[in-house]
Amino acid sequence: MKNTGQIALLVLAAVSALAAGFWLHPWNSGGVPESGDVAQLMAASLPDVEGRSQALAQWQGKVMVVNFWATWCQPCLEEIPEFVRMQKKFGSQGLQFVGIAIDHPAKVREFAAKHHMNYPVLIGEMEAIELARVSGNELGGLPFTVILDRKGQLIGTELGGLNERKLATIIRSAI
Amino acid sequence: MNLRIAARFLVELLLAACAGCALASAAADLLAPEQAFRFSATLIEPGLVEVRYRIADGYYMYRDKFRFAAIPQSAGLGEARFPPGRITDDEFFGRVETYRGELVIRLPVKRAGGFTLKVVSQGCADVGVCYIPVTETARLVPARMSGEAVRSEGDAPKLLLRLQDAAPSR
Repeated sequence: MKNTGQIALLVLAAVSALAAGFWLHPWNSGGVPESGDVAQLMAASLPDVEGRSQALAQWQGKVMVVNFWATWCQPCLEEIPEFVRMQKKFGSQGLQFVGIAIDHPAKVREFAAKHHMNYPVLIGEMEAIELARVSGNELGGLPFTVILDRKGQLIGTELGGLNERKLATIIRSAI
Repeated sequence: MNLRIAARFLVELLLAACAGCALASAAADLLAPEQAFRFSATLIEPGLVEVRYRIADGYYMYRDKFRFAAIPQSAGLGEARFPPGRITDDEFFGRVETYRGELVIRLPVKRAGGFTLKVVSQGCADVGVCYIPVTETARLVPARMSGEAVRSEGDAPKLLLRLQDAAPSR
């Protein structure tokens, strides 16, 4: 009888530990938003660096890595050369990076040209901040990256820097 | 016997869970900006405002991102006096000055009566995350000689454009 109680306690502790494990799952450091929130991101249109409106939905069917960044955010700039390399390496396999800069078009244009950014960059201020927030970025931190599978379903979010190894792990099953 | 099996099961589960903890991004423990950069503003004497930020360990603020405004504008803010910060040569930004710990900025003001002070600031965390610029608002009234700090993050995006306009070009 006493043993049964102890086992129940152990099972309870084990379930809590498992729950903690899932909660701390590495690819969801920004928190897992509701699927409806990603739908809002996929339904959005933002201007590109030339001022032309671009719908996020045009890239659906590819594995999308949507990276919120800014030229005033140093950790954001550090990871961009790696994204450029990854776009080149995995683009033919259906990986599509999309940058969303919370910034001025002129500054973004200058940076994109200087660093040979080979993927589309859209620009936004309040709307972009709101899209990042509903996608799971409660703190308003940058860089913030949302990863979607070919159906436009969320497969990961990351607040802070992403490297190729980490990103490759997230997209492995989707690509 | 059963208890021993259950205990082993628990240990294995805990190990599995901890593999998750070890891999979890440091960004998961980030403070909200209002906790990372604690703002207060006080009229310490007639004509002199003291703006104070208590910056949490592991966080820093950029000197060139601060902007100050008074409402009404006729309150007449003078030039902000900053203490010397830490100067580093940044790969992307060149020479930048940052602050950690306690930051006290002094701000002369002409107006004798009360006014509202708005301060835009921007900071980052060492784990590699930067916050979007935030606007703090304080109503400063000489009679009470104290400021009521009211945070108004909703203003930050509006002021972002102005902040970027004024940012030094690289």
